[in-house]
Amino acid sequence: MTQTTAQADSPDTRGTSTTPEYAAPDAVPRDASSISLRRLRKSFGADAVALDGVDLDIRPGEFFTLLGPSGCGKTTLLRLLAGLELADDGHVEIGGRDVTEVPPHKRSVNTVFQSYALFTHLSVRDNIAFGLRMRGVGGSERQRRVSEIADFIKLGGLIDRRVDQLSGGQRQRIALARALVCEPDVLLLDEPLSALDAGLRSQLQVELQRIQKRLGMTFVFVTHDQQEAMVMSDRIAVLNDGRIQQIGTPREIYEKPVNRFVASFMGHENLFDIESREGDCIDTAALGRLKVETPPHGELVMIRPEALELGSEVSSEFNRFEGEVREFFYRGSHIEYRLEVNGMRMKALSSNQGQRLFRIGDRVPMCVWPEDLVTLAR
Amino acid sequence: MRGGSMRRSLAVVWWVVMVFLYLPLGVVVLYSFNSVNSAATFAHFSLRWYHRLFSNPQIIEAFWHSLLLALISSMIAVVLGTLIGYGMYRHRGRRLGWLIALIYLPIVMPDIVFGISEMTFFVRFNQLTGLLGPGLGTMIIAHVTFEIPFVALIVYSRFVGMDATLFEASKDLYAGPVRRVCHFIIPAIKPALISAFFLSFTLSIDDFVISFFTSGPESTTLPIYIWGAIRKGVSPEINAIATLMIGAVAIAALLSLALSRRRSASRQ
Repeated sequence: MTQTTAQADSPDTRGTSTTPEYAAPDAVPRDASSISLRRLRKSFGADAVALDGVDLDIRPGEFFTLLGPSGCGKTTLLRLLAGLELADDGHVEIGGRDVTEVPPHKRSVNTVFQSYALFTHLSVRDNIAFGLRMRGVGGSERQRRVSEIADFIKLGGLIDRRVDQLSGGQRQRIALARALVCEPDVLLLDEPLSALDAGLRSQLQVELQRIQKRLGMTFVFVTHDQQEAMVMSDRIAVLNDGRIQQIGTPREIYEKPVNRFVASFMGHENLFDIESREGDCIDTAALGRLKVETPPHGELVMIRPEALELGSEVSSEFNRFEGEVREFFYRGSHIEYRLEVNGMRMKALSSNQGQRLFRIGDRVPMCVWPEDLVTLAR
Repeated sequence: MRGGSMRRSLAVVWWVVMVFLYLPLGVVVLYSFNSVNSAATFAHFSLRWYHRLFSNPQIIEAFWHSLLLALISSMIAVVLGTLIGYGMYRHRGRRLGWLIALIYLPIVMPDIVFGISEMTFFVRFNQLTGLLGPGLGTMIIAHVTFEIPFVALIVYSRFVGMDATLFEASKDLYAGPVRRVCHFIIPAIKPALISAFFLSFTLSIDDFVISFFTSGPESTTLPIYIWGAIRKGVSPEINAIATLMIGAVAIAALLSLALSRRRSASRQ
């Protein structure tokens, strides 16, 4: 059953166009690299339920991100895939093979650990060669593959250094090389960028994504940073309290969150309770009657901050209201306003097109298009 | 000015300690080169006592016994102590309070109590089974027993100081249980194993009390020989043995210092 799902879903191909320095075309994803989880449960003691019945299918060659706050179960899920934890209940399949009880050293899965976990008693070269050595890959073959991966990740002179001579970013690359050289079916990444500074981080985000597209390998990436998740992933699963809240593309998750948790976690603040509904209209305490495009199905309505139009020349004839500017933050490419509308706080982002800026205390007319209103579950 | 007088009195304490530590050693070294058998007068420089020493078969034999005992017991203690240290590390999350206390106990227990109880045990065991008559065998067992806690604690603290994720990384990189031990655990704790071995070795060479109670007539070690000889008065021969031991310990200490210097230098 897993096999058929895996083949039916053709992998994303968007990485092909923008990788000039990688000459080879994207590799064809192997069927071996699909993942399917069924009713997966894991608890640590009676009151610490880490995973509460998780069902999940990850396609071959997909960059899949597990996103959630600390303690949501995302790391436990990754460790179950690696075999470093055993599930209390449920099944883990990788490439159609049930590996639920298979120990980590017998799974074709490698991990890039958050702390990188490089062996300090070994040189960088021996660190990279470790997995091949343990698999019994012979000397000359091993040398060749280590050199290849070193070229691929562009390690240059790093390969002859000692592990304790490396910076955080360099360690991260070595850890990646050490995992990739084994050519696993699935690569697991446990917040590998969280210890790095912002500049290096965004550089490595791009690089990791390129490497993944180039290899066509399934990447399962764990992070608590929703920006990072959106930038890198083909699809994202948002987790909370050991349950999957939503699975979707970055755009689906950001623009159409299914509940309050996902919306808040993606950084949305403009959430209002629906008091009553009538046809394609809803009533809220703060904003009065709002027109929505599709019949509302939830108890909350969400307005993305960038969907709010500010100023007197507003274009929509529906959903107009007025707010008072309480705070504003100039962010260069856009301006963030904090407004008060009928006693409720709202956040608006307007892109910087050289327009006149509002000041604190200004009363500003606003509107939002019906199609930009999202209704969601509590 | 208060600070100044404080510093002066601390300096006095320092020098008093130094004098009590090193003057007796200096005297021993000096008199080992005395040409006459006297503790009162130093006639002139001579290697006479060293000649006597090296032509005394009892001393040579005692030296070999000490060396053999230290080597064998340290090797066994490193193996067993490492297993215990690893066990303590693996189960550190559980409540092992009194089990850990059992490991510490031999360290704090007076040597004499330990020695006597070992002796009683061996004697009774020998009476019942005819095995383990007093000799190098019983001494090795006794020495291994008191060295194990030191090894276990050194190895344990090395494990605690390591990134626990490394164990998982080795599993993740296809190392099964046996390869994990050979290619990861032993290489990673090698410095701790070496220092545990040297500590055990020194403790064993140094030990008198426990050796005394567990030795047999044929297994005299250097400290036991010295104790026997000294009852007839401190001969310059003893001074010579002591001087050689001081020299050996000093060389070992300098070597280990040089080794650790080189290790940290290459790490820079």
